[in-house]
Amino acid sequence: MMKYNDITKLKKNIPSEIRKFFTEKLNNYLVIIDGEVIIKNLQSSFEKLSINYNNVMDIVVPRNFSEKETLHIFYIQENTDSVINTKITLKENAELNYFEYLFSNTESKVDFVSDSYISENAKLRYSGISKFNKNSKVSVIRNSNISRYGSSIYSIAEVSDADADLRINMFLDGDYANAVAKTVAITSKKQKVRIKQIIEHNAPDTEGYIENYGVSNNDSSLIFEGVGKINKNMKRSIARQQNKGIVLGENSRLDANPLLLIDEYDVEASHGAAIGKIDEEQLYYLMSRGLTLKNAERLIISGFLSPIIKQLTTDELIEDFLEVVKRKTL
Amino acid sequence: MSILLIKNLYAEVDGKEILKGVNLEIKGGETHAIMGPNGTGKSTLASVIMGHPKFIITKGEIILDGKNVLDMAVDERSRAGIFLGMQNPAEVPGVTNSDFIKTAMNTRSEEGKSISLFKFIIQYDKAVKELKMNEDLPHRYLNEGFSGGEKKRNEILQMKMLNPKIAILDEIDSGLDVDALKIVGENITKMKSPDLGLLLITHYQRLLEYISTDYVHVMMQGRIVKSGDQKLIERIDQEGYDWIKEELGIDDERVFIEEEEERIILGTCATKEALDL
Ligand SMILES: Nc1ncnc2c1ncn2[C@@H]1O[C@H](COP(=O)(O)OP(=O)(O)OP(=O)(O)O)[C@@H](O)[C@H]1O
Ligand SMILES: [Mg+2]
Repeated sequence: MMKYNDITKLKKNIPSEIRKFFTEKLNNYLVIIDGEVIIKNLQSSFEKLSINYNNVMDIVVPRNFSEKETLHIFYIQENTDSVINTKITLKENAELNYFEYLFSNTESKVDFVSDSYISENAKLRYSGISKFNKNSKVSVIRNSNISRYGSSIYSIAEVSDADADLRINMFLDGDYANAVAKTVAITSKKQKVRIKQIIEHNAPDTEGYIENYGVSNNDSSLIFEGVGKINKNMKRSIARQQNKGIVLGENSRLDANPLLLIDEYDVEASHGAAIGKIDEEQLYYLMSRGLTLKNAERLIISGFLSPIIKQLTTDELIEDFLEVVKRKTL
Repeated sequence: MSILLIKNLYAEVDGKEILKGVNLEIKGGETHAIMGPNGTGKSTLASVIMGHPKFIITKGEIILDGKNVLDMAVDERSRAGIFLGMQNPAEVPGVTNSDFIKTAMNTRSEEGKSISLFKFIIQYDKAVKELKMNEDLPHRYLNEGFSGGEKKRNEILQMKMLNPKIAILDEIDSGLDVDALKIVGENITKMKSPDLGLLLITHYQRLLEYISTDYVHVMMQGRIVKSGDQKLIERIDQEGYDWIKEELGIDDERVFIEEEEERIILGTCATKEALDL
């Protein structure tokens, strides 16, 4: 097993933006640069997983596996245009906390596809941050297929400087399956980001929840398109959606276009949206305690984005996220 | 010792005049109480001193130790030593109480010299205990889901941490149960010093049983119409405001009379004019 202090001896240089995460507080991580595994640092409990990388990152979590710790994967793209594929399979009753950090610091085309297969009564908590160079062209597609009593919870933070098209497609294939697609996104400058989530109910008694938190600054535009689709006979299913947003820039745009496609009567479906300028009363309150306008805005925004901060496992990752928030909301 | 001076202050919101010539001087070491019926401009005065953006000052001055407060932004006023414990403090989801106060304290310390985490925690814990608040408070989100009384205690907690020169407490006693009222009152009294000028806005004598006051003012129609000492509170508590209205010849104590009534008055005036009366 490779220790964090050995990383100086690696044959490939890890960009300093990423290197800072590898302290003794971070456990269980893989680092992949341009399609090559550079670090594999796993505690013994994770040795039970089968993790193979051969063009496709293939993770298989055995039956009844349960571990509170999180498996982290850092994908770094330096030189090549690449297609990154990840496949995560959870066998029956397995549980996994998974986190991925997508990073590029050069101009490149990024195509990222990940698929997860959640077997009966298994539970995946999938979180991710993407930080791509502003000249990249980004497409990220994440699919999740959920069996009976399975649960799949996706929490994604899109804080790139690049124009991006993000998709989450979740399929509730077995009864009592449950899916959550939660996204946090901050756009700035002239960036254009579109996030589309679909939760499709292919079995009765299934539940899907789409939850988005967006901040758009400067001249950027951010669009959320959440789709809850309940097919015929998928009785007693629940499709809910919530979009919240802060429009910071004078010329920025933030749109939420929730869509409910429902072909069954006996269901529950709802959506709500709260998008607007930063709350005046909150600003006044914080400023009345001496915080400058910028500080107050930043605190309110990081509070607003706290649902994703909770998913981050170390202080370095939290700091990294808050730094981006600060930079992008300036 | 600080001095807050309010001179002939007029303020309006949405074109409606609410403050109509307020005069008041608060010195360090003094405790003032403002009483008065609902809707007479008490909270407006507090908000205007703090600098709430929705109010427009049309006339008058607010001066703190020789400096023009009306020129300062809300945060500058706070850093200059003004504190307002609000009647309805905002809720800020996702921002913990301790992060908030820590940030607020750091903005007051000189550039690069932020307060040590250790010192902060000790000071915060002490204040939480003194106010008999729950220990999970630092990790809870700012006022989110707080009960009325918890919000009020949280305002006092912030005041303790920020150590202001002039503190205005707007109905800090509303929503507090009997025990909490005692705790809050005693905590405020403990903070009294020649360096702190206090302005308490209240409807009841109860709070003032725990905080001795030097001056009592009554607000009606957007200005202070009567001032006195502790005895004034006792009389108001027993008899209400009618005697003051009678004494001063005030019919309606509110800041502005409903538009409909105004129209009627205008109407009669117009008729009078037409009849050349
Ligand atoms: N934003 C606003 N728009 C319109 N009217 C307002 C606004 N803010 C305050 N007012 C009005 O100004 C008047 C004075 O309000 P203020 O809150 O200062 O009263 P108060 O003396 O504090 O009353 P209370 O004892 O009920 O707290 C009221 O009639 C109120 O409705
Ligand atoms: Mg009031």
